[in-house]
Amino acid sequence: MLRRSFLAGSAAVGLSAASASAQARTVSLWHVFNLETDMIYGGMKAFNESQSAYRIEPRLVPGTQVVTELVRAIATGAVPDLVTIDSPVVASFSAQGTLTDLTDLVAKSTYIKPAVYFKGPWASGQWRGRTYGIPRDANTLALYYNADLFRAKGLEPDKPPQTWSELKAAATKLRDASKNVYGFGFCATEAEEGVFQWLPFLWQAGGSIDKLDQPEAIAALQFVTDMVRNDIASKDVINQSQYEVINTFMAGNIAIAQGGPWELPRMGSNAKFDWRLARMTVKDDKQIHADCLGGYDFLIPKGAKQVEGAFRFIEFMSNPEVLNNGWKSGRLAPRSDVVVQNPLWPQAYAIYRSEVPVARPRGPHPQWPDISRPIQVAIQQALTGAKTPAEALKEAAAKVQPILAKTPLPSAD
Amino acid sequence: MISSSPRRRFTVARQAVGQSALLWGFLAASMVYLLVFIGLPVVYNLVMSFQDVTLGNISELWRPLIGLDNYREALGDSTFRKVAINSIVFVGVNVIAQVGFGLAAALYFAQRFPLAAFLRGLVLASWILPALVVGALWKWIFATEYGVANYVLLAIGLIDRPIYWLSDPAFALSSVTIANIWFGTPFAMILIAAGLTSIAEEQYEAASLDGAGPIARFRYVTLPALWPTLLAVSCLVTIYTMRAFDLIFAMTQGGPLDSSNVLPLFSYQLSFLRFHFGLGAAVGSTTFVIVLAVALVYVRTLRIEAEA
Repeated sequence: MLRRSFLAGSAAVGLSAASASAQARTVSLWHVFNLETDMIYGGMKAFNESQSAYRIEPRLVPGTQVVTELVRAIATGAVPDLVTIDSPVVASFSAQGTLTDLTDLVAKSTYIKPAVYFKGPWASGQWRGRTYGIPRDANTLALYYNADLFRAKGLEPDKPPQTWSELKAAATKLRDASKNVYGFGFCATEAEEGVFQWLPFLWQAGGSIDKLDQPEAIAALQFVTDMVRNDIASKDVINQSQYEVINTFMAGNIAIAQGGPWELPRMGSNAKFDWRLARMTVKDDKQIHADCLGGYDFLIPKGAKQVEGAFRFIEFMSNPEVLNNGWKSGRLAPRSDVVVQNPLWPQAYAIYRSEVPVARPRGPHPQWPDISRPIQVAIQQALTGAKTPAEALKEAAAKVQPILAKTPLPSAD
Repeated sequence: MISSSPRRRFTVARQAVGQSALLWGFLAASMVYLLVFIGLPVVYNLVMSFQDVTLGNISELWRPLIGLDNYREALGDSTFRKVAINSIVFVGVNVIAQVGFGLAAALYFAQRFPLAAFLRGLVLASWILPALVVGALWKWIFATEYGVANYVLLAIGLIDRPIYWLSDPAFALSSVTIANIWFGTPFAMILIAAGLTSIAEEQYEAASLDGAGPIARFRYVTLPALWPTLLAVSCLVTIYTMRAFDLIFAMTQGGPLDSSNVLPLFSYQLSFLRFHFGLGAAVGSTTFVIVLAVALVYVRTLRIEAEA
């Protein structure tokens, strides 16, 4: 809806062309955030009130459909001005020239300074030295644990496991078949989130995606396979989404569960026990802190009508003051200059905040889905016992390596 | 609409002309509808299946033609073969079970017990639910530790260890098949029940007088009269099941290891999760050819039914 505004002149700072028109131009935004507390809602409201040149018109698209919708929009040419996309998928779009190159806009920006961003999130929007996506938020994994169950089994609730062997020992002790409690829970579905949850093990073991058939990678897959094969983790992990794993944890049926900070809002209201967080563990002989990076990027599709307005909203949302609100729904800032004072869930905040700098991105790689898929299959083959971890990973490596031979992953991973 | 009163008889000739124009109009409208809303997508999909389609060129119509490469790649892929076999098993078992149970239920509710018609309507409730809801429901029922299915089977001693309904590759396809049978049977039942009511009561009376018992009446009266209906229902169930997507998506997403994946879901995954649009289109076109073949059989049986 176009709204006549008589305040255009006063609000259009540094945008003289726009202020000439007294009409607020509509910037269409597709986003996936359905929690009312998410910073995007406050951000949109504040943005619309702060100036009168542009008006954000949001459309909430379910997270599972936003990529499909964007593909459809690109195919028909009816693209939104702005969209939020899961970071590992961004390169598939940027490498194919379907996004607006934001490099020059970033160079002129006051808030968006590449140097203040964490390396991983910033990398997700880059392709061949150009910028196509601006990270909106960051997330990573940590271990949720049930301190009540720790006490019941004689474990010290203030000393959560720090190494793989401690994790395995604690999980074994916490497993209680008579009470339907599994020691450890994680997500290993045949989907991107299954890979997201396994890659930390790969990297902690010193392995890498281009060397999936090496002993380090095999050790990483063996570790989670043993958890399932020894009945410490449920066989159902291969069909449990991250959401369902945390549901099971909140029901008291998993003692230690791998999960992201976005689970915190419902944890606060649903978990009726003493729950806490611990950092991801390290492999005893490697001592590498590594985690997997998630989060959403803002993209402006090529052909967007309001590039200027869309970018102004990205800038608005990148303001540290706005990013400060991200944590209210469990979203970390993708940049190092944002430190939330008196955060909700302070212990969780400290844990996740310490994981972000060691979290590594998936890609960016235009064929990330083709790299991810063989890894998903390998994990499932190992966990179901269809193949040994070594056999499964050999097969995965044979599919992944030709892709990486053509287009390598940036940096080591 | 068309009056047959004697006073208007002189207009009959003009009406005939008007009527035939109207009929041509009907034909044109349905042709336009078919071409625009069914023909175009099918042709578009078919064209895509012969092209190398990427995110970069998807908005253009002229993309590199690569002949049968997509089909060759699909057919050479062991996952495709696995998924195709899954689809055939899934559809085959569903058709037999849905028509079988649907027939049994229709016959059951055809007995004149109190509230029979009302209860028959109530059974249809499950068919009204959205597939995603049904999927979520069955995911609960089949949950290993807390699901009803394992609880009941363990309680009555049929199994001594819980079954991993959705996470064991050996069971996942059976589990989604059971859920889909539950989902689809009421629809088969209602169609068969409609067919049952069209059998004249006199036929049964005559058969009874000739000394036919319930089994003989079913065998020699009901079944022959119902045969075209059963064929038509089988075709419809095949078409519906061939398109099954939401239910499986909600229950397993096709996993573990594609053990419960079917062609439409696989085609979606290729196109929208992995961006192999040409390959996805090839799988989609293959599925379409199968559905079309069944649809043609359906149209033929409708004609037989009309003649019967």
